[in-house]
Amino acid sequence: MMENAWIIPLFPLLSFLFLIVFGKRLRAVSAYIGIFLTFASFIISLLVLIARFGSPTYKAEGIWLTIGDYQLTAGYEVNQLNALMLVIVSLVSFLVHMYSKGYMHGDGRISVFYAYLGLFTFAMLGLVLSPNLLQTYIFWELVGLGSFLLIGFYFYKEEAKAAAKKAFIMTRIGDVGLFIGMILLFWQVGSFEYDEIFAAVSAGMISEQMITLIALLIFIGAVGKSGQFPLHTWLPDAMEGPTPVSALIHAATMVAAGVYLVASMFPLFAASETAMMTIAIIGAFTAIFAASIGIVQKDIKRVLAYSTVSQLGFMMLALGSAGYVAGVFHLMTHAFFKALLFLAAGSVIHAVHTQDIEKMGGLWKKLRVTGPLFLIGTLAISGVPLLSGFFSKDEILVSTWVHGHTFLFWLAVVAAFFTAFYMFRLFFMVFTGEARGKTANVKESPGVMVIPMLILAVLAIGAGYVNTPWFGTFLGDWLTEGNQALGHGHVEGPAWIMVVATAVSLLGILLAWLMYGKKTIARDWFSAGVPTVYGILANKYYIDEFYKMTIVKGTTAFSRILHFIEVIVVEGIMKMVAGIISGLSKLGSRFQSGQVQTYGTVAFLGLAILVIFFAVTGGYLK
Amino acid sequence: MSTVPISAYLTLALVLFCIGLFGALTKRNTVIVLISIELMLNAVNINLVAFSKLGMAPSIDGQVFALFAIAVAAAEAAVGLAILIALYRNRKSVNIDEFNTLKN
Amino acid sequence: MMFPYYLSLLVFSPLIGILVLVFIPKVKEPFIKLIGFLATLPALILTVIAYIAHRNGAELSELAEKVGWMQFVNPEMAGKIYSIDYELGVDGFSLLMLMLTALLSTLAAIASIHIKKEWKGYFMLFLLLEIGMLGVFAAENLILFFIFFEITLIPTFFLIGKWGYFEKEKAAFKFLVYNGLGSAILLIVIMVLYARTGTSNIEAIMSIMASDSDHLVVSAGTKMGLLIALVVAFGVKLPIFPLHSWMVEVHVQAPPSIVMLHAGILLKIGAYGLIKFGMGIFPDQFQSLAVWLAVLGVINLLYGAFLAFIQTDFKKVLAYSSISHMGVVLIGLGALNAAGIQGAIFQVVSHGLIAALLFLLVSIVHERYGTSDMAKISGLAKSMPIAAGILLTAALASLGIPGMSGFISEFMAFLGLFKEMPVLAAIGCLGIIMTAAYLLRAVLSITFGEAKRENTEVNDVAPLEAIPAAILVGLIVLIGVYPNILSGSLTSTIETILLGMGG
Repeated sequence: MMENAWIIPLFPLLSFLFLIVFGKRLRAVSAYIGIFLTFASFIISLLVLIARFGSPTYKAEGIWLTIGDYQLTAGYEVNQLNALMLVIVSLVSFLVHMYSKGYMHGDGRISVFYAYLGLFTFAMLGLVLSPNLLQTYIFWELVGLGSFLLIGFYFYKEEAKAAAKKAFIMTRIGDVGLFIGMILLFWQVGSFEYDEIFAAVSAGMISEQMITLIALLIFIGAVGKSGQFPLHTWLPDAMEGPTPVSALIHAATMVAAGVYLVASMFPLFAASETAMMTIAIIGAFTAIFAASIGIVQKDIKRVLAYSTVSQLGFMMLALGSAGYVAGVFHLMTHAFFKALLFLAAGSVIHAVHTQDIEKMGGLWKKLRVTGPLFLIGTLAISGVPLLSGFFSKDEILVSTWVHGHTFLFWLAVVAAFFTAFYMFRLFFMVFTGEARGKTANVKESPGVMVIPMLILAVLAIGAGYVNTPWFGTFLGDWLTEGNQALGHGHVEGPAWIMVVATAVSLLGILLAWLMYGKKTIARDWFSAGVPTVYGILANKYYIDEFYKMTIVKGTTAFSRILHFIEVIVVEGIMKMVAGIISGLSKLGSRFQSGQVQTYGTVAFLGLAILVIFFAVTGGYLK
Repeated sequence: MSTVPISAYLTLALVLFCIGLFGALTKRNTVIVLISIELMLNAVNINLVAFSKLGMAPSIDGQVFALFAIAVAAAEAAVGLAILIALYRNRKSVNIDEFNTLKN
Repeated sequence: MMFPYYLSLLVFSPLIGILVLVFIPKVKEPFIKLIGFLATLPALILTVIAYIAHRNGAELSELAEKVGWMQFVNPEMAGKIYSIDYELGVDGFSLLMLMLTALLSTLAAIASIHIKKEWKGYFMLFLLLEIGMLGVFAAENLILFFIFFEITLIPTFFLIGKWGYFEKEKAAFKFLVYNGLGSAILLIVIMVLYARTGTSNIEAIMSIMASDSDHLVVSAGTKMGLLIALVVAFGVKLPIFPLHSWMVEVHVQAPPSIVMLHAGILLKIGAYGLIKFGMGIFPDQFQSLAVWLAVLGVINLLYGAFLAFIQTDFKKVLAYSSISHMGVVLIGLGALNAAGIQGAIFQVVSHGLIAALLFLLVSIVHERYGTSDMAKISGLAKSMPIAAGILLTAALASLGIPGMSGFISEFMAFLGLFKEMPVLAAIGCLGIIMTAAYLLRAVLSITFGEAKRENTEVNDVAPLEAIPAAILVGLIVLIGVYPNILSGSLTSTIETILLGMGG
């Protein structure tokens, strides 16, 4: 089965090409084509995963580009991580395809929407299957393209245009880091193949400093893609795209690609202590930083977006603390519960036609299916015991503690508290209390939107049981099987960590309930109490403004200076040369007086000079 | 029999030519310019005739050429004067300074 | 299958069109356009046949032609006869350029449907221009090369000056002055080489220079001087900063169908000349100059990108983007290894296709909106969805999205430079970000946003306009997805160059 894995990305590609060419005529039918083709991908991915359980890694390649003596190859590889990611990506993509059938119903450009979804899914599956860094980079850029197109789907909105542009350029800044790191690595190793890179690293062919430099450069790529500080600002803005897109790209799959990249290049990172430390610090900082912003946001999707940034920070923290399994495990559980949350949020938006949580409230009775589903997602992300998020977050905290990052551990605990608080703040404000907006026409979403949410809800509850300290660490053992560099499948940690994690999440929920549910604590004690801090949080630490003031303005100013040089110096010199030449010509034209007699005189004088010259010298200069 | 030496003819021709050249290049009246050109031609004719009689290899050719030159000079004077009359009708002047249409 | 005088027929085939056009009354517009289009086809077919034959193993040397042309004797060197022969020949690189020329000529002829006046004169000059361009890439003789090189100048001058926009005369004169000066310098180089070596055949000069390691034929200083002169001469064409200001004006003022050829082919003559003559004839000197070329390349890349970032006219953005992209060619040449040179050649081909596509779209949009000012066009995705889609594709190709040809060339050029000068290359990578920034800024402001009211009633791309766009997009994607399709025929050319460099 695994030798056929190359077919998996081709289905969505086919969907993209077909819908781009014929979409206009198909209109609503295009949804069925997209759904069917991604379902086919999912089935094959599932078969590949099952096949991978029983057989070793499969890899096939062919020559793609010849450069002098080097042959660059293209192909595909199925190892544990790839196989797992294939299923996650194709499943979420399939569910989002299905959900969009209801969500995008009636949109005139639905075929374009499905075409872009197909392109994205193709790129993401291709990224997952890549056996070498160059191919990873190629698909890495293509998923960025898919994301860009879908964020800008509502192209007539100025915000969407700005968000799409921002997403592309911010991630490209990260990509250039990856690009440089990749090329430097090539000249060190002589190949882009992962196997050969890891072999070279473990053989000590590359100097310590070089590994650190390359690892950090590659990590910059991951920072850009996964919305880590300081390149995180595009991700909240990316919520301008349709909500299913936010669920697929900006929650479950593409933003996790940065984590995936670090995970799949883990042996390289593990060889540099500095790089690992940097990853852990950036991850932990992003986790608490984004969570603190999430506390005060008023847009349902933006809260979820900051929560995504924060959760990705958790994953990076895990990887930076040598918790390979913890990072990948959380990547998987997060994909399910965050996709669920986004789809449920989409369902809410679909019903009330607003994204402002101040205008929602009391929706629990109106949305009898969406409400409980949203609650499941919220419980899972908050780390309430027995749901998937609990197990994976616990694993991360254990890894951090065991690896000795005490300070980062406590940061993560605080971030977990924030997470529980802002998620339940969101839940209480949207679903409980009095209705603050028009709710007369609110209706539950159609079945085609509910079924995907149900499936995700089951996974959000159950996915954690593949790797628990109680029932065995099946996932961890399998992922690290046959590869010492990835660390152990299971990390034993002190039992009190689990108690602390549970306690902080319950505390967060309690505080949220007191403030927004029972209202025993005034809602505005924080914003009224410390308005300065509230202002900073509400304005996202003024990072966007800071970038606008420095980078955007700086670039424009620098361009103006260059423009000045262009006009004054480059064109000035040219004008000067032209001026000198035309001045000389004017001087010459003075002799053209039109007076025949003058001409005659000059001619005579010339003749006379020549005659004298020849008479004196005899015609030889020497 | 003592004859006038060739250098005398040549000197006369030189003087005539220089007068003609000076006149052709400096005079403002176009008629005088034309007359000066005739002077230069006649200086050449003197040379031709002088060499024809007293040169290294005397022959009749020089005198034949002088006759040709006189004929050509006559034709040239006729054309020149005709142009001059046309110009005079146009400009009411024979002042050569005003004839600078070669400029531009 | 390769009959004699194959290349001559190829190069001069547009002449048939010119001769036919002479006998057609100048009012028959559709007929003239049809003839103009048809006359570009033989060259295209012949180059494609030659390329396929070459891929299947045919030797390109079979195509070489040589006919005696001029002979004269130098009085001071008795018995030494100077001769100039009519010599044509191709290698992998020039065959590629011939194919690109023929293809873009055909597509530009289709794009010329928007020409408004004097079609007869337009197409006669157009076809003459094509002869010049084809000849440049087929010439195996420096003097013949120079003649063809000059032939390209004159039709271009008239095509810009007569069929361009508001300031067309000024642009045409600027073009002529700059390129005339470039030609003059080139002529000096050619004459010095000819006088010193006694031959104008390129390969003969190469072998003489290669065996002249003691600098007996030409002194080391002179060689360096000649190479610098060559860089300046071709630098005007490419254009290298600060010799570029004519080119911006031409991009803005010339009719888009001519800019397709201009940006697609004429600029590439500069790169072709640098690779073929600069590297081929003066390999040792080129090596010592390589660092400076790389520095100039990075300057070009960044300078063009930063200036493109603040332009308000879409055509100016594209003009500065061309300058920026030609920086990548210089970067590749400056790297001076297999990856770099291959990247430079790929960039030459790739930018030819992408620039042609972008200017095809400029002509389509300009035809409907009467302007290319970005402030006056918006919401193209609403009023002309297909055009907007192609425009976005072209911009993405230009900013180097993988899967399209721009990425491959950029990747290889930087791969090459990182091996030799990593710090410089890292600075150059800033250009990758800037390219994305300025292209998205320009393209999104045209395609995205609210459709202006008066814009709603424009027709989308007509089939006749869509065909060339589809062909170009197809080729760009083909090269991007499977780049080995080009690199196969370049291997021997690059090996020869690197061998000349001594390893």
